[in-house]
Formats: sequence, structure tokens, C-alpha cells
Amino acid sequence: MGLYLTATYPSVRHFIEVLNGVRGLVDFLEIGIPTGNPKYDGPIIRMTHRSAELKGLEAVKVINDYSKYSKAPVLMGYAADYIDSLNEVASVARSVNAVSVLFPDLLFDYPELIDKYVRVMEDSGLRPSFFISSKTPYKLVKRLSEYNPLFIYLGLYAATGIKLPIYVEQNVTTIRGIVGDTFLVVGFAVNSPDMVKSLIKAGADGVVVGTAFIQRMSNLESALSLLKWLRGGLP
Amino acid sequence: MTNVPTHWYNIAVDLPKPLPPPIDPYEGESRIALLNRIMPSELLHQEFTALRYVPIPEEVRDIYARLGRPTPLRRARGLERLIGNGVKIYYKFEGALPGGSHKLNTAVPQVYYAFKDGAKEVATETGAGQWGLAVSIASALIGVKATIFMTKSSFMSKRQRVLFMRTYGATVYPSPSEVTKYGIEALKANPNHPGSLGLAISEAIDYTLQGEGRRYIPGSVLEFVLMHQTVIGQEAIEQIPEEPDLIVGCVGGGSNFAGLTYPFIGARLRGEGFERTRFLAVESKAAPKLTQGRYEYDFPDSGGLLPMIRMLTLGHNYVPPPSHAAGLRYHGAAPSLSLLVREGIVEARAYTQEEALEAGVLFARSEGIVPAPESSHAIRAVIDEARKMPKGSVILLNLSGHGLLDPDAYERVS
Repeated sequence: MGLYLTATYPSVRHFIEVLNGVRGLVDFLEIGIPTGNPKYDGPIIRMTHRSAELKGLEAVKVINDYSKYSKAPVLMGYAADYIDSLNEVASVARSVNAVSVLFPDLLFDYPELIDKYVRVMEDSGLRPSFFISSKTPYKLVKRLSEYNPLFIYLGLYAATGIKLPIYVEQNVTTIRGIVGDTFLVVGFAVNSPDMVKSLIKAGADGVVVGTAFIQRMSNLESALSLLKWLRGGLP
Repeated sequence: MTNVPTHWYNIAVDLPKPLPPPIDPYEGESRIALLNRIMPSELLHQEFTALRYVPIPEEVRDIYARLGRPTPLRRARGLERLIGNGVKIYYKFEGALPGGSHKLNTAVPQVYYAFKDGAKEVATETGAGQWGLAVSIASALIGVKATIFMTKSSFMSKRQRVLFMRTYGATVYPSPSEVTKYGIEALKANPNHPGSLGLAISEAIDYTLQGEGRRYIPGSVLEFVLMHQTVIGQEAIEQIPEEPDLIVGCVGGGSNFAGLTYPFIGARLRGEGFERTRFLAVESKAAPKLTQGRYEYDFPDSGGLLPMIRMLTLGHNYVPPPSHAAGLRYHGAAPSLSLLVREGIVEARAYTQEEALEAGVLFARSEGIVPAPESSHAIRAVIDEARKMPKGSVILLNLSGHGLLDPDAYERVS
């Protein structure tokens, strides 16, 4: 199970407190780099970007070793902010012991930069990872899986934290059929152990929790209980 | 013999680039969350499905068959003789359906899914009235009430369509109307507002939110609408005896064009044929989004109630001048079609209504069918292209509707 947090939301102190709290409860962390335009996120995650104490890569750097908190920390940023400085993001990721940088807008807005992105990741000793939607072309999904990514992340809904009446399990199974053995992570609006269970059964290797956790973050105990409860859906 | 297709085709999974997802504007309430309150649930699933082929429910296939699917594919021998250079022209005649246009292909499943959700009433917008008429027919057959917001310029000029929508039991309001806040605001700003599809969409959504048991159903632009229309192209692939060099359709939001072309384009993108086929989308110069629009996130409705989609757009506040081809008076084109135009897979061209109607008259006199003013735009392109093509070339046209309920359009040119 993975957890998404926006770096330094709601404050540097609280962010570090949460990281310490989730140690051992999550298998991987996705650390959002606060941005001025998190366009593919839903209202709650957008709010965390607006309210983060620090912005951009400075926010990420408040921790010098994310691997203390989970096995596979990944940075998540918008490629639009770093289109001319992918190397800089990779270098920061490396310096804080992250293993990849995920750009949710890469495929939608800069598909011509996929090869460059993969090169930058590999040259920096990182693994590529890719965000896709349920409507990503099959040929492209197949091509992404051939880059040997750390994972492919399937967004289950149109935006983070907003459920729609979509047969998400059917979509997971379809994508699983294309990506082969690639580690398939799914997320967006994951909020119950039953949902976790059915997503894993449909073919996901991992699930990411974000909005549901952030909504409870003002009471850390309650947020941590949520994680424990959701873990009940894992095999 | 061609059968009614068993599946709809979802081109998104074969596109050369990913379709950007809908997004919320940066400020304000989530429009994506609003979809839950206004649209039939199955349609939302279809909008985000990862399946290439989506099964058509048997009940819907039965109604398709009852209404006249598969529609005929005919050879336009009269028009060929008129052009006289040995180019072969086929047309898929969607005007053979009871509503007189292709719109029933998506009206039937949309009303069906609304009914399955427990809705008692569907609300929607319409331009020329073809979509409104199709929704009225589907609603009558399935047993729900239909409420239609029709752009005022068309409401005044297409009186027969208003009459027939009411004959089928629908309630029809001219838009801007006095039953929603968006209509009232537009009338306050301009008492002579001619209406626009974008505004009528906002009115239909607002009306849906005002009452219980209502669902909003859209006539074009959204991907599931285009997907439903792919029955046209799937049938055409089976019916046409030779590979077309050119396929032509008109574009308002993109649904009839996509319906005919996407099964062909999809086959090409998968490397399964039609390598030499060109695809030509024809729009009205009154709303030239394909040829002059910007590719960006914009609202599909002028009130900004729906999520933003990335498309070729003239801006959601653009009010096209009144036109007899009201179905083409729309500011944006469906995201998948916009992407295909951007990628150079689909070509685009714009004509004035005079150029189009002149071609419509030629078609009427050579083929015996008065085409819808919208379809006449595509016919204009067929004539212009055919004149340049070598003998033996094959053109396929989507004759998306007949024009027997558009006497206002032909009054000036006949």
C-alpha cells in the first residue's frame, strides 16, 4: 500500500510528524512537489498544493532521506513546472533517496518527451514510472511497460478523490492484460478495505491512498487508523 | 446481409496519443463531482472505459432494429453523373431513421440508461432540433418524459421540429428561456439573444438539478456519444464493396463524423487497413473551431457547469451567428476528434451556409433526397473533392440527416 502526501502540507512540522507516524504502515510513499497548477488533481489535493508551507523542490528538500520512512519513496510533480529542468528534479530526487519521479501530466501534455524522461531517470540512477488513465491507448501502455518502469500508475477516476460510477475493476483487469508483469499501482478515491481487496483481485499490485488520508490529517491518530483499516483489504 | 452491430467502438484506446482527461477549473466547485448528480451512471462508466469494444444491450439493439438499423448505404449515381469524371460516391443514409438524422443512435441508449437509473425525465439541449427530436422519440418508446431546450433562433425557424417533438410528448422551451437562471441572465443581457448550444446545455443541466428524478443527456462532444454513433461506421465497413479513398462528414460537436469514420480510422491506427483513406471533417464558417480554434481546456457549455475538456474551441462564450445549419453552431469539437485533427489524421475545412445549401440543392435534384443543411456542408466538400480526384476514386459520405423539416433553409436557394 502506498500513501500520497504533498510535501510540507499543512506545515513542515506536521508533514514530518506524519512521515514519522506512517513509518511501517505503508510500503511506498508518493511525495507531491507543491505546484501552482495541479490540474489533474481533485479539490482536496489541490488544496494541499495551495496550502503547503513551502513550494516547489524546496518543500521536498525538508527531508534528506525519505527511505527512512518507506522502502520505495517516489517524488510526484507536474512536468509542466520542470520541462526545461528534468535533470534538476532527478538530481533532487536522488539526493533525498527517492527512487523515481512520477509526472502525471507527462503522457497527456508532453508525450514527445517520454524517451527524454526515461533517459534522465536512468542517467540519474532512478527508475522511470508512468501515470496513465483508463483511456490511455493500448499501444502506448504496452510501450511504457517495455521501459521496465518501477510501476505504472492507473488513475481510477477522472481526478483524485472524486468517485464516479465507473467499473474500475474492469478497467484494472483490462490494463493488467496489457502491462504483463509490470508492477501496476492504482489510485484515486480509494477509501475502503473492500475497495482495496477488489482492486487487488482485479489485477492491481498495489493501491495508493491520498485524499481519504489527507481529509483526516488534522487528527493524526484517525488518519493512521484509516491506513491500518485499509490495509485489511490487502491479501 | 448486414446486422445491427453488437458493440460500440471506443477509439480512445487506439489513438496515437492519450486523450487528456476532463478537469475542473482551478476555482469553484468540482464539475467532475457534479456529473454524478446529472448523468446516467452507465454513461459515466462508458466515458472512462478501458474497453475497446463496449457491448450494446440487447434492448437497445432491438430498438435500433425496430427504428431501421442498419441504415442503407447507397451509391449516389445521379451526383456522380453530374460531376461526370468517373469518381464513385457512396453515402450512408442516417436520414432514413424516424427522427430524420443519426441522433437516435445515441438518444436510444442514453434514454435507456437514464430509465435504468430510475429517472422519470430526461433534459437536454438542441440546435436545429434533430437531437431534440431523437430524444423525444427515444423517450416516448422507453417511457420517460423529455424536456428540450432549443436554441431560440432554431425554435423560431424550425417550427415543424418543435411540433413533432411535442407530438412525441416532449416539452420544448426556446433557449434562452425563463425557466433557468442561465436563460434569465442571458435574456437580461440581450433580450434578442439568438441562443447557442452552449447556453442551451447550461439551461438543460440547471433544469436537471432543479428537480428529482431527472437526468441530463448530451447530444454530442462527450466521448460516449461519439462511441454510440460508431454503429454507422461499423455497418458501413460491412456494406461498402470497395475501400474508400475519402470519407467525409460534417461537424457540429463531432458525433456523426466520428460515428462514420472512427471504425475506419481505428482499423488504420491498428494497422488493419484503410491506409490510403483520407478523412475530411467539414464545419460551418459560422463556428470554425477545427480550422480556427485553439487547442486548450475549455468548458463544453457556456455556463461553465460541466468539467473542462481539451478540445479545439472558439471559446465557450462564443455565440455563433444564426445559421440554417444550427446543428453546426457549436464552439468546440469533441476531444478525440480535436486530437485527430491536431495529429493530421483528420483534415478539416469550413464552408459558408450558402456554399453548403447550393450543394444540398444539387444533391436533392440528382439523388432525390433533400439533405439536412448540416449534411449539405459535407456534400459541398464531396463535390469539390470529387472534381479533383482521378477516375475510379471512391468517396464515402455521411448523409447524417434529411432536410424535409428545414424548409426555412431551402426557401432562399430553391
